[in-house]
Amino acid sequence: MARTEIDRADARFGWMMTAPALAILFLVILFPVCWALFTSVHDYTLLNPHFDSFTGLENFRHAITDPEFRHSLRLTAFFVVAVVLLEFLLGFLVALMLNTVERMKPVYYGILLCPLLMNPVIVGLIWRMFLHPSLGIVNYLLGVVGIAPVNWLGSTKVALWTIVMVDIWHQVSFMVVLLLAGLSALPREPYEAARVDGANALQSFWHITLPLMLPIIMVTLLIRLIFAVRTYDLIYIMTRGGPGVSTDLVSYFIYRTAFVSLNIGEASAMAIVLMGIVLLLTAFLYRYMRSLT
Amino acid sequence: MAAIALDQVDKIYPNGVHAVRGVSLDIRDGEFMILLGPSGCGKSTSLRMIAGLESVTRGTISIGGRVVNDVDPADRDIAIVFQNYALYPHMTVAQNLAFGLKLRRVGRDEIDRRIARIAETLGIGELLLRKPRELSGGQRQRVALGRALVREPKAFLLDEPLSNLDAKLRASMRTELIKLHRQLGTTIVHVTHDQVEAMTMGQRICIMRDGIVVQAGAPMAVYREPVDTFVAGFLASPPMNLLAGRLEPLPHGGLAATMGGLSLALPQAQASLVHRHAGGEVIIGLRPEDFHLSPERGLAVDAHVVAIEVLGPEVILVASLGHPGNPEIMIRCPRGFTARPDERLTFYYDPHEVHLFDAATKRALARPSRRD
Repeated sequence: MARTEIDRADARFGWMMTAPALAILFLVILFPVCWALFTSVHDYTLLNPHFDSFTGLENFRHAITDPEFRHSLRLTAFFVVAVVLLEFLLGFLVALMLNTVERMKPVYYGILLCPLLMNPVIVGLIWRMFLHPSLGIVNYLLGVVGIAPVNWLGSTKVALWTIVMVDIWHQVSFMVVLLLAGLSALPREPYEAARVDGANALQSFWHITLPLMLPIIMVTLLIRLIFAVRTYDLIYIMTRGGPGVSTDLVSYFIYRTAFVSLNIGEASAMAIVLMGIVLLLTAFLYRYMRSLT
Repeated sequence: MAAIALDQVDKIYPNGVHAVRGVSLDIRDGEFMILLGPSGCGKSTSLRMIAGLESVTRGTISIGGRVVNDVDPADRDIAIVFQNYALYPHMTVAQNLAFGLKLRRVGRDEIDRRIARIAETLGIGELLLRKPRELSGGQRQRVALGRALVREPKAFLLDEPLSNLDAKLRASMRTELIKLHRQLGTTIVHVTHDQVEAMTMGQRICIMRDGIVVQAGAPMAVYREPVDTFVAGFLASPPMNLLAGRLEPLPHGGLAATMGGLSLALPQAQASLVHRHAGGEVIIGLRPEDFHLSPERGLAVDAHVVAIEVLGPEVILVASLGHPGNPEIMIRCPRGFTARPDERLTFYYDPHEVHLFDAATKRALARPSRRD
């Protein structure tokens, strides 16, 4: 269809109205990304902060073959799967229970939302105090019931699971809230039809709730997954990647490469790799959500 | 197949709403029973209690002679068709039909056989692989019906299943349901607020209001002898005209129902039944279809034309009886009838068809048993 003068005027007005927001977006998102891309193909360190030696894909090659980076990627994959799965199972269980509650629902909502409203740094600090090997309340309570104290953050075997647990405490409400919204939007009638058809509670859940919730479950899992990949604050506050490299998640590893090893070029390459992974997940999420409508 | 009996059934919701009050109703084995009433009258709640989807606060419900108050819906062997169909949205039509059978561990071959038969009966054979969202309202309705039929239950409960269909489809589904009932002979309880459905489909109608059964009986019996002004004003379209009037003694004996310039002498048999109301206020009920243009039947009544509605097969005349300015009533006239506004016409009304209701209680006053 031919564009009329009114259409063109509308388009100009639209551009004018969005220009400030677009400019800010370019400045704070696109510029840093481009800068990181540019940096990732140079030998740029804080000891020699000049773009004077172009190295091509050398930083990428180095990063991908770096056993520590690969270790942190594997660790992150494990962390993400553990956190997302456990949070989903727990969150779905709580959402199912809350969905049947009729009285005092806002009170439960309020309590549940408390951790979610907290800054991850605060969460990390609180739990670091709770989990202190000798002064923390957790070990004290364990001692009361006769269980030997656990070195929550100091043991290479336990530390990652401790982080997983704290992350669950912090983020499970996100799952609960999203899944609960989905559950309460489900139609009531198919359940009544199923009851008359002879389905018990478990069969109703399996044959009706799960299939009807699948789109919401998928979206919730993917959003949570993308957020979990970026986990940084908890690690910085609670373990600094330690003990050893047992909680060295990839975001923290990149931070260390950039600001401890001062190798900005290679850190940028790693960040680009991570961004690629997150971008793939997001593209998948976007396409999935599009396919639902 | 089974008879269904409600005995002094009450339903009080946790929020204190008393939805059903002391309902007693015997639905015979194989009967097509209609629960009719305006929204909020307790008809759907009664149906849901029979299905087991609502608990019974007081009283008992039995199906096939067994008290089922505490029996799970699954074990009552009944099927329900919901107003909005309540199909399983993620399953194909075939899966929707098979679901109840699978849960009851019916064999695969038997399931296939039954689905094929139902699909044939309802003409949904080519829809079996589609999802509910790909179906039209009428098709969904058929699938919902099929899901009930395929289980071969003791009784069908239909909760306003036709109310979401357009008028034409509703009429054809009415006929199909009647045919289906004749074929299967299964007990059907059908909830509706549509008096046309009630009159055409039911073997018996149970009219409810405010949680109470007002009247139950065969459609024509309820139509002919409404027990109160509510039933009289609810059945048929247009419904009975209800006019405030008096019962006046006539000089030569007998009684006449009168209102503003209008006087209808009652037949002797009726007058003797209601003579204790002589001189008192009554509500006079006149059916729109009992006004005639020819004088051979009935008493002359003057009508002042207010408006005329041409419907095609018939003409509805809106007029004031007696003096102009009296309350407007509806008169059903034959096709081709014409009149001008403010015209004065004479109709003839059969005095045997005069209904009288107590002005205070709204209950029908006694009428002699019918001649025909």
